[in-house]
Amino acid sequence: MSLDLGDALQTFFAESRSLLEDMETGLLRLESVPDDAEAINAVFRAAHTIKGSAGLFGLDDIVAFTHKAENVLDRVRNNELDMNEDLVGLLLGCQDHIGRLLDLASDEEELDPDTRQLGKALTARLRASLGESAASLPVELESPVEKLEASKGSNDTWHISLRFTRGVFKNGMDPLSFLRYLGTLGDIVHLATLDDALPTAAEFDAESCYLGFEIQLRSDADKARIENVFEFVRDDCQLRILPPGSRVSDYAELIESLPENSVRLGDILVACGAVTQRELEESLALQACQNARQVPQQALGEILVQRKAVQPELVDAALSKQKDARQKQAQESRFIRVHADKLDSLINLVGELVIAGAGVGLMAARNKDGAMIEAVSGMARLVEDIRDNAMRLRMVEIGETFNRFRRVVRDVSKEIGKDIDLEINGADTELDKTVVEKIGDPLTHLVRNALDHGIESADVRRARGKPVKGTLQLNAYHESGGIVIEVIDDGGGLNRQRILDKARDKGLIQDGANLPDRDVWNLIFEPGFSTVEQVSNLSGRGVGMDVVRRNIEALRGSVEIDSREGEGSTFRIRLPLTMAIIDGFLMGVGDIHYVVPLDMVLECVEMNGSGAEVGCDYLNLRGEVLPLLHVKKHFKLDGRAARRENIVVVNAAGRKAGLVVDELKGEFQAVIKPMGKLFEQIRGISGSTILGSGEVALVLDVPVLQDEAARLDALAVAV
Amino acid sequence: MAKTILIVDDSASVRQVVGLTLRGAGYEVVAAEDGRDALSKLDGRKLHLVISDVNMPNMDGISFVREMKTRPAYKFTPVIMLTTEGSEAKKRDGQAAGAKAWVVKPFLPAQMLDAVSKLILP
Amino acid sequence: MELSSESRDNRLCLHARGEMTIYHAAALAPQLLEALAQSEAVEIDLSGVSELDASGVQLLMLMKREAGAAGKPLTLSGHSPVVLEVFELLGLGGWFGDPQVLSAHAETRRPA
Repeated sequence: MSLDLGDALQTFFAESRSLLEDMETGLLRLESVPDDAEAINAVFRAAHTIKGSAGLFGLDDIVAFTHKAENVLDRVRNNELDMNEDLVGLLLGCQDHIGRLLDLASDEEELDPDTRQLGKALTARLRASLGESAASLPVELESPVEKLEASKGSNDTWHISLRFTRGVFKNGMDPLSFLRYLGTLGDIVHLATLDDALPTAAEFDAESCYLGFEIQLRSDADKARIENVFEFVRDDCQLRILPPGSRVSDYAELIESLPENSVRLGDILVACGAVTQRELEESLALQACQNARQVPQQALGEILVQRKAVQPELVDAALSKQKDARQKQAQESRFIRVHADKLDSLINLVGELVIAGAGVGLMAARNKDGAMIEAVSGMARLVEDIRDNAMRLRMVEIGETFNRFRRVVRDVSKEIGKDIDLEINGADTELDKTVVEKIGDPLTHLVRNALDHGIESADVRRARGKPVKGTLQLNAYHESGGIVIEVIDDGGGLNRQRILDKARDKGLIQDGANLPDRDVWNLIFEPGFSTVEQVSNLSGRGVGMDVVRRNIEALRGSVEIDSREGEGSTFRIRLPLTMAIIDGFLMGVGDIHYVVPLDMVLECVEMNGSGAEVGCDYLNLRGEVLPLLHVKKHFKLDGRAARRENIVVVNAAGRKAGLVVDELKGEFQAVIKPMGKLFEQIRGISGSTILGSGEVALVLDVPVLQDEAARLDALAVAV
Repeated sequence: MAKTILIVDDSASVRQVVGLTLRGAGYEVVAAEDGRDALSKLDGRKLHLVISDVNMPNMDGISFVREMKTRPAYKFTPVIMLTTEGSEAKKRDGQAAGAKAWVVKPFLPAQMLDAVSKLILP
Repeated sequence: MELSSESRDNRLCLHARGEMTIYHAAALAPQLLEALAQSEAVEIDLSGVSELDASGVQLLMLMKREAGAAGKPLTLSGHSPVVLEVFELLGLGGWFGDPQVLSAHAETRRPA
């Protein structure tokens, strides 16, 4: 039988990863509240389910390892083992290890020696944590099976005697199904149905079973396999198995031990071909003789199916405490799991719908058909709602990502011997799933950096009169159509002079350049920059910060730093809520259309109009001086200056600027398509979009334009 | 006519694999994600076998089987409980509730199929 | 399980239709036994039996024995494939198939 388990396997990996997260949450909770039964149960359940499912796919490494962790958890659950900080640490290690095993399995890779070694070490520690009581671990319930030494011979016919108890039907078992299954082990040479126990009609209970069977089975199966056929009815039947080549005296003993009349049974056995009439008679006579002399009869018990004594076990006291946890799970079951591809394809379609809608709107406007325009605008509103709702489907709370850092903070602070608290605010802030996935790495780096370099050691903190315990904050909130994520530490802050010195050493800035703080802080994002001479194994080898910025920019986001010496630093990441569809503001420069996100647009001013004083490269807007970015100049577009130019005042990441364009075309829903490979290097353009008319508009990357302008400025000053 | 099996397990991957395995062998399969969901599937349809996990949210397997056995149409439906080692007490409760067949987790698809075919053939 | 009956020259013919299983055994048993008590000869038509389990088999065996004890002929007819499969598995073909009432001992032996 070959099954395509690929899909199921993917489900398993996704499921297991989310279980591992539950496990971690539970363990971290147990660190502060070691006897939280709910958490213990959650952790146990996670290990238990992973083990169970892994077995289905034959992932034996995962089964074997998880099994050991589960044993320990089981003992904790039964109050036979105390949860403490060490055990939590060990189990967190196990959780990591299971994660690694899952990764290897999903990459279809073999276990490497390191991982194997680690697994062994963890196993040894798990065993040690069980201490003396290891012997009383729950053991496999497989009943010990005696191998009966079947005498060798050409005869491979087993004899099986079966008597069902009255209650077998009530347990949902049909004796016939076991006989059918028995037939799959070999060839049923003979089967006799015994009705001897059938009572009179008056006493007959149709729901009780009165049947018995004598069976001759030709099979090369061993005794254990034959016994196993009846494993589900071992409490509901008497089973006797005589192996091939059994002596006649064995049959005689069998007959003695069965409830039916000996002569009748003898007839049946003879009919089965198990023995001959003469053999049987001689043997029965011999046995009768032995009985008379009080010789203890050889027990047939050894070939009875073993019944296990039920061991007394503590009643699961945790059951009632689970109740609350289950109610919570009941709420969760209101969610449905949808494949991300399906959502993507929906959003893609909505994107097309937006474009098509814009096309219809354009035609309606061109035809000047009033009723049509009205209908179209009604439809456009609906399309907009559908778009918003579709985008919301992809939105997930950032809390899950934040929670991961509880573990990071715990581990890292232990490792470097600092005492650090993590505060999380705005865990329910939602953002696009793809953004969440991609922000994890940069965020990890920033958090580690803050833990390692930001927050001072306890001694330094004490000397500076700060609380010994450091605090790291992770905040998330919405701001003007985007999301802001902050990593705030109350550490020593960035050292301006050190950064400047280093930047000069590396040739990143010229001597004597007088940079504002903001630009100084940004230097640490330059490739090859590291503020701490002593590189620890946590926050990397100075290769990280530039990658952090690159990753964030790839998400059309930005990162900025606030820092005060002695008080701490804030790393502020701004991200767009979504990457696919935006409300845009359409502008024209020459024949080319440009779009900026609408939330960036503050106001539009006519060049040479009233209320603004316009210089060559700056704009004096009611006393505020803003840099001007000439789009035409930046992209080196040909063509004369338009008769009338306009300025679009934008605010990107807290910096204001004026974009000089020819024409203002108003709001527009833009479905952003990434630039092709060939064009992705172009600075200042972050994507493209298609207008209702079929023309292409380019999405301006305002922060990059601002940087560019600032650099030109600096050059101009330097020269 | 194909025999119908109800699989009750809160793990989607278990439901998926057991479902695939059994369908591949010619059974019809109905799936439920916990005891409560499973009860809603007991709508009078003919079920030849129930395979149920023990530890599940909302309603555990043993409560489910106990409830199922009170319904005339499912009084005699055989049950395979999925269990792990070390839960003798659970097993006893299960036996009392009318579940006599137990399959130890983790199991391979072939083992499940083997256990099922002891009780019903497709 | 549905049981309908018709009289045919002094003989009661019972048509069994549907599942002859444990779900219906408790209801079916008294109906069959009552029918046997009320008639001189009974024929059970098994052509409509869609499922037969051990409880059904032992009910038929009980009927056969009761009929024999009362000296009334009981015949099974129109065995559906399902019934044939079970009889074959349990080696009961000869046991029921013999129209004459013989001692149970001899009947259990399967004809060669």
